[in-house]
Amino acid sequence: MCNPSNYDKLDDRLSKIPVELAVGTRLAHDITEIRPGEFKGPSFRRGHKVEQQDLCHLMRLGKRHLYVLDLKADQVHEDDAVAELAAALAGPGVTYGSQPREGKLQLTAAYSGLLKVSTEALVDFNLIPDVMCASLHDNVPVNQGQVLAGTRAIPLIIDRGILDQAVALALKRAPIFSVKTYCRLRARLIITGNEVYEGLIEDRFEKIVRQKLEALGVSLEETVILPDDRQLIADHARRFLAAGTDIMITTGGMSVDPDDVTRLGIRQAGVETLYYGAAALPGAMAMLAYKGNIPIIGIPACGLFHQTTVFDLLLPRLLAGENPDNRDLARLAVGGLCLDCDVCRYPACSFGKAS
Amino acid sequence: MQDFETLLEGSAKAHGHMCAGQVVGVRMAMLGCELIGLDEPSSMPQIKKIVVYIEIDRCAADAIAYVTGAKLGRRSLKFVDNGIMAATFVNLENDKAVRIVSTEESRDLAAQYAPDIPDKRQQQLEAYKRMPDDVLFRVQKVKVDVPVHDMPGPSRFKTRCERCGQVVRDKKEVLQGGKVLCKPCAYGAYFRTVGSERSKEVADHVQPEQL
Repeated sequence: MCNPSNYDKLDDRLSKIPVELAVGTRLAHDITEIRPGEFKGPSFRRGHKVEQQDLCHLMRLGKRHLYVLDLKADQVHEDDAVAELAAALAGPGVTYGSQPREGKLQLTAAYSGLLKVSTEALVDFNLIPDVMCASLHDNVPVNQGQVLAGTRAIPLIIDRGILDQAVALALKRAPIFSVKTYCRLRARLIITGNEVYEGLIEDRFEKIVRQKLEALGVSLEETVILPDDRQLIADHARRFLAAGTDIMITTGGMSVDPDDVTRLGIRQAGVETLYYGAAALPGAMAMLAYKGNIPIIGIPACGLFHQTTVFDLLLPRLLAGENPDNRDLARLAVGGLCLDCDVCRYPACSFGKAS
Repeated sequence: MQDFETLLEGSAKAHGHMCAGQVVGVRMAMLGCELIGLDEPSSMPQIKKIVVYIEIDRCAADAIAYVTGAKLGRRSLKFVDNGIMAATFVNLENDKAVRIVSTEESRDLAAQYAPDIPDKRQQQLEAYKRMPDDVLFRVQKVKVDVPVHDMPGPSRFKTRCERCGQVVRDKKEVLQGGKVLCKPCAYGAYFRTVGSERSKEVADHVQPEQL
């Protein structure tokens, strides 16, 4: 249909052809259309055979020339390249779309859980020319089907050698992306405070904690309200720890008053490790302790006032079976300052996105 | 595509009996295929373009599979255990997809559409033949991003459970506590072994050990 003499060779890989002479040729790549506020996506897909009636549409999109592909053996089209990149980047719990769009593929969560990103490996991957991958932050909770990352070959055509280099790096450092399933599924809650125990004020912590647990598929098996009594707290903590608990939560009694004895009670219950204080605001007075493989997280009273606190940052990691230590609590520092927005958009914000 | 009566007869034969579910399933599948632009879904080349998600394991499911040619073993039939009389028809070539739900109202309207038939079962069956599409069904235009591990075609992903050694295909493994596990090891199994065949691995499936 098309006379090769119409082709204007740009280099040895791509020829361009005036759009009005392109009828009968097949598109070398998806053609993106942007209608502000309405649509962004491919109006024409790679391989589409250009028809007479397409010409107006293509010209309206600003196309005066189209590319004609002439691939050599050591060259790979962006759509084929990105499928190889995605396969190498997607570790356990991560999948990707079956159809590249505009040369891109999105990596998605195969199931809900905690996103893990090998950040150094991802930086090294992006240092390889002609490939890129951008993602969500490490350690954020993700839902099944949620987009985690996007990857693409940057030019329309990539050299096989460079593509192989990128794939080899991703495989050697695998998994660059993975999702950990939540496995600590039975939670128990100790609410402390004389004022709540004596009925002077109504407890509001249970509802908050229950909602946050249930949002991640975890059931709150038991709740007890206790006075600020170190011995009672220790006794109930021991009972909970022996009752088939995967994660224990305490609320209140984390501050500096003489009546704030929750962490002392938890220590008395026989925990091996106890960290007090986290580099996050709100949540500086949080506690994190371990008895064997059972974590005990203490939420300070700020958890009643602020919609999102250090509890929200640590909970997904704990539920995914991780045992953060004092270094992890310190690492929260960068991005650990909540912006206290009028309408909370967490996790779609900078809070807890430690570098 | 064959006409409704021919498809219904074939579907009832394949399913084992004629019933209202066959009528609903055949009509739903015919409508679904039409809306996504496939007229011969069970033969080449269209057989490679269709994926059907069925949300119920009742009579109609077999009718939908019969008309569309979608099969579990071809990976073109996906069972989503929602207990909803609904199915989604996806054309992989042009990304067109519709979800069709069988309406609850249609059950109550059976007498109205087939007052001449006294037998309740027959009345329902005949009424479902006579009802217009917009009474029998609710149609939603949807978008389904079929992920690469659910696509038809050869298996591209294979790994091994780090606890029991079982090979797991198609990215159905889970990462739990730092280990790649098969779902029975991670979440527990739907079965319990009995007698002398009980092995340690299977025992672990029943009661997953702590991390």
